[in-house]
Order: sequence, then C-alpha cells, then structure tokens
Amino acid sequence: MTASDTAVGRPTRPSAVREFGASVVTIMVKELRSRMRGRRAFIVLTVYLAILALITYGVYVVVAPNARGITGGGFGGFGGQANASALIGQSIFTLLSIFQLILVCFIAPAFTAGQISLEREKQTLDLLISTPMRPGAIVIGKLAAALAFVVLMIVAAVPITAIVLMYGGASVDDIVRQQLVLLATALALGAIGLFFSALLKRTQAATVLTYITVLALTLGTTMLFIFWTVVVNQGEDGFGVGPPKRAPEQLMYVNPGIAMLDVVSNTEPGGFGGISNLLAQMRGNVPEFGGNVPEVGGNFGGEIGAEVECVGDVCRPADQFGNAVDDVVDASSGYWWPRISLTFVLLAGLLTLAATRLVVPVGMRWAFRRRARPAALPPPAVGVGDPGDEGAPVIQELREEADR
Amino acid sequence: MMTATPVVETRGLVKRYGDQLAVAGVDLLVGPGEIYGLVGPNGAGKTTIMKILATLLAPSAGEAYVTGIPVDADPLEVRRRIGYMPDFYGVYDDLRVWEYLDFFARCYGVPANRRSTMIGELLEVVGLTEKRDGYVESLSRGMRQRLCLAHTLVHDPALLILDEPASGLDPRARVEMREILRELRSMGKTILVSSHILPELGEMCTGVAIIDRGRLLRSGSIHEIERSLRASALLRIDLLGDEAAVNAAHEWLGTDARIADVLGATSNADGAVRIEASFDGPPEAQADLLRAMVEAGHRVVGFSQATSDLEEIFLKVTGQIDEAAAA
Repeated sequence: MTASDTAVGRPTRPSAVREFGASVVTIMVKELRSRMRGRRAFIVLTVYLAILALITYGVYVVVAPNARGITGGGFGGFGGQANASALIGQSIFTLLSIFQLILVCFIAPAFTAGQISLEREKQTLDLLISTPMRPGAIVIGKLAAALAFVVLMIVAAVPITAIVLMYGGASVDDIVRQQLVLLATALALGAIGLFFSALLKRTQAATVLTYITVLALTLGTTMLFIFWTVVVNQGEDGFGVGPPKRAPEQLMYVNPGIAMLDVVSNTEPGGFGGISNLLAQMRGNVPEFGGNVPEVGGNFGGEIGAEVECVGDVCRPADQFGNAVDDVVDASSGYWWPRISLTFVLLAGLLTLAATRLVVPVGMRWAFRRRARPAALPPPAVGVGDPGDEGAPVIQELREEADR
Repeated sequence: MMTATPVVETRGLVKRYGDQLAVAGVDLLVGPGEIYGLVGPNGAGKTTIMKILATLLAPSAGEAYVTGIPVDADPLEVRRRIGYMPDFYGVYDDLRVWEYLDFFARCYGVPANRRSTMIGELLEVVGLTEKRDGYVESLSRGMRQRLCLAHTLVHDPALLILDEPASGLDPRARVEMREILRELRSMGKTILVSSHILPELGEMCTGVAIIDRGRLLRSGSIHEIERSLRASALLRIDLLGDEAAVNAAHEWLGTDARIADVLGATSNADGAVRIEASFDGPPEAQADLLRAMVEAGHRVVGFSQATSDLEEIFLKVTGQIDEAAAA
C-alpha cells in the first residue's frame, strides 16, 4: 500500500467557521504539547503559587498584630475583632492582587513575544503559512496557547486569594473583578507581544519593544498624567473657579495598575481610603466625607483642592464657596476597571488583527479576503495583472528585501 | 484523449524586488506525473518561482496556475493541492516524529480517523518507521530532510514543490532521497524540484527548465534541449582490429557526406578502439550508416550516440547566452 492510495482523499470540507476553529485548536495542541512537556511548566506553576502563599502568610504576620492594635484591640470589643479580621483580609487581597498583576505584566508578554518571530528565526514559518490554515487562525491559536498557561496561573491562584473570604474584607465579587482585570491585562499584554513578534524579525527586538510598551502603559501613562496635570495647573493664577484641571482621564484607560487599584479600593473600609481618594483625585475630585478629611491644597491652593459635596457615594464637585459645580461623579469603586478592561479587550482585538495581516505574505493579503473561487477554472486569457504589491507597509518590503 | 490540465503553468511570470528583477518573464508548463527540474546557479530565481507557486510570494506581473487555479487569486485552494518543502527550513525540535506529522496533518484538515494510519505509511515511505516516537531533534540531517518531505505528503497533494531537497546531504542520503522521489513519481505525483547539482536532476527528471538570472533559457526534456543545442549528434563507434583496420574505418567515415568531422581514436580497456564522429542526420540515417559500415567489413562492436549530461548542457546554454551578450 502506498501513501497516496490511503492518505486523505478530498474530504467534504467543513464550514469555514469550523475549519477556523479546528486550525486554532491545531496550533494550540502543538504549542501546548511542547510547552507543557517535561517538568518546567509544573515547576514554574509551583514556584508561582508558593510565592503567593508566602506573601499571604507574610501579610498576615505583619498586619495581624497591628490590625488588632488599630481596631481597638485594647478594649477587646467584638466589633474591634471583626474589623481587625477585615483589615487582614483586605490587606492580603490588596497585596495579592497587585503582586499578581505585576507578574502577569511580566509573564504574558514573555510568552507571546517570541511566538511568531521564533518561527521566523527557526525557519518554520514558511512551512506553517504554506498550509491552508487561515493566518488569523494561526495568530489566534498562538495567542490562545500562550495565554492558556497564564490563565492557568491566574486561575490556580484563586484558592489562595479565596483565603480572604475567611477573614472578610473582600467579597466573592471582589475576587471575580480581580480575575477579570488580570485576564484582560494578560490578553492585552499578550496581544502586544504577539504583535511585535509578527512585526519584527528578531525575537530579541520584539521582546525589548514589548516590555518598553508595557512600561509605557504602566509607569509611562502615570508619569505623563502627573506631569500633564502639573503643567496644566501651573498656568492658572490660583484663584480659578470651577472644577479642577487635570490631564484627560482617558490617558489612564490603558493602565492596568489603575484598574487593579480600582478593584482593590472597593475593599477599603467604608468604601473610601487612600486608594479611593487617589482614584477620585484623578477624576478631578477629592471626596470629603463628612468634612473630616482635610482639604488638600486648601481653598486657595488651586483647583486640586476644590471641595466636594457628598451624599452617600455620590459626590458633587464644589467650588471654594461650597456651591456645587457641573457633573455628578460617583466616587465609589467600579469607575475605572470596566473601562480599562474594555479598552484592553479592544486593544487586543486590534493588535491581533494587525498581527494577522503581518503574517500573510506580502501582496497576498487581498486574496485572503476574497471568497474562494471554484476549483480548476480554466486559466483566464487576460492577465491577472499586478496583485497589488504597492501599498504594502514599508516594513514588510524591507523584511522581504532582507529575506533574499 | 482529453488534454489534461497542466499541473503547473506560468505565463510571463515576473517578480521584482525593488528595482531588481528576480524573475523576468518565465513560462513553464508541467504536465501531470512529471518530475520537472528547475536548473540554475544560486540566485537564478528558482526559489522565487517556487515561492510564488507555493503562494508565499505574490508575482509582480504575469500569471501562475497550479492545477488550473491562479495562485494569487485563491491561495488557500492552491495550498490544499501542493506540498512545499523550502530550501531552508526548520523543524519543531521539541515534538516527536509522529506528533510532527500529526500536526501538519491537522493543519491540512486530515480527519482524525485517518491520521494515524497515514502517518505510519508516510514514515514507511521515507524510511523513518523506527523513529516514530523519537524526538525530531534526535534525527540526523538526512532524516530531517526525509521527515520534511513526509510532511509535504500528509494531504496527498497533486504537486510537490521541493526546493533543493538534497542540499547538504551526504552521497548516501542523496541516493536515498532520489529513490524516494522515484517512488513518489510512481505513485503519480507531479514533482517540481530544483537543484544546482545537475547530475542529480539529469538522472530522474522528465523535463527541465534552465534558468539563469531570472530568465528561462531552455525548457523541455533533456534530449530536446540537447538536440536544440547542436545540429549534429556525436556518435561513438567501437571497433575491433589492428591499427590499419581502424585507420581504414577512419577514412571510410570521412567519405560520408553526413559526417562533419571525425575525431581521434582512443583505445578501450577491452581492446576495442573508439572513434567519435559528429553526425548530421535522423536516427534512421544512423541505422543506415551502421549497416553500411558492417557491410563494408568494419568490425563494429559498439555504436551509440553520446548523451551529454545536464551539466554539459547547462554550461553550453549559459555559455551561448554569455557569448550572445558579449557580442
């Protein structure tokens, strides 16, 4: 028997969607086969969880004695005990959330930044893209395979995070929000890595640019926001009337740190505290709850210090005479993280699309958008003409030049 | 009989990289079941032509069809019908041999119930059965080359595009590769193969295209090209007898009008003397000449037309072009 009489005939072809899905799964299976083989993946996961467990324990050891002291341990009151417990839970939740976010920021891009450039370096990309799999399926399969492990890490840490439920201070809702923010962050940063991996020839360059971008999204936006706000306020005479001036808050829609702080701020006792205050300031408000919080910057100190009138969670910015001004702002948690998560999902979609375009051979892009022609057409007598080599991005042309 | 659709057809194929012309209007026609060789020095444009046919490059102008399907209009359909082996390629080191083939079978949408048996048979064809569970990184270079060849076959394509399949292989591995290609041809595959090592192609190709600097210099079967290269054939006549007899034959040949030139005689190891003569005429005339020689009493033990190998042809073709360019 020969390969030709047994190997596939031409099976009736499944629908385009199923074919696409099958291609994504194919790539994922291959990637996970090599990634999960051996002990490396399990060691990484174990170490990661061990670190999280240590942090949890460390926070407990540090916070517990202080918490009892702060919340009236001297009196041994029942309420004091409950508050102490909540404070421990809240502290653990805050630290675990921030630490996990930082790890995701490091790990997600690391897994994706080589996905396509490594194929290019190892000269396997041509083999891959000369198969009838759609380029989109290849890119999505790669992203999904890389994120699968990150998602495993995030989800595997849920039981550790769930310890806070025992102490109180953070609820199941908080943990769900934390998970959503982590997943959205992993998706976006993973897509950034994949995009650079498709754009650049070398994995090293892709990795460096990816981390620079991640830094720009986190520290960069924060510093720009502060700088911008300072510059905007310097021009004022200090007696401005109206809501305080600041950099556009949209700048922070790409900052995963703000999203996580927003989630964490929800667990602050009474719904306000240091983090809530900070987040409110970024939207141009300083909530003054019951007049107990000292004015920041004073009434004459400029716009940042404008007063806010609050009824429950709803605060209204006020000028220095106590008159309410324009927009009603909700000072409670939940303003930032949905916006940032949504931005991340959109960003990931855009970058994945861009990466798909970069994987398609130059000049063939338009052909993939077309509906497939029926097979075995007699060759047309008229020339097909130039299939649009023009208009391809310069970087692609350069790469092609280099390939020769 | 209906004329079959050519498996590969290009018309005026042009590929430009910036202002450099890599392929300058190449017309190719490869019928079903052929082993067609692309011959040319490095940088001649062979790889570019193959990449265009494999839908990895878009042609700048001209048309290219695989089994009648235009490559730039329906690349996905073309990919289902070809198996492509690039000149430089990597393998996924961290997969097992069967996983490697299984991966590509999935890529081509081979149904799950067929993959396992198909992989077994492919491994048999390329002689890697005992490596089935080994890691790809443990394979020798020749084995990797054969594995890569096997991966082009997972979807039973009509056309195999093999770019320098034997490059970097030791002589033994080369012979093995050649045997596999012959076997594939007997399975009815059409094979487009490139090489700059000419004897390798000359032995197995049914047709060749000689390409240099992006231009197609000659195409057709090796015999056709050879005939087109010289008006006269080179006859090799082996004679028995002493020096006088040989001289007589020499003179007798000189009197024939169809013989342009009689070249010197050389002694064979087995006692015969070989005379080479350039002869102008069809095969029938060669038969007449042989009969006349025998009737004239010359003791002919060998009579054949010298076949020049591909290397010689290639040098001649490119030499002619160079001369023409110089003139």
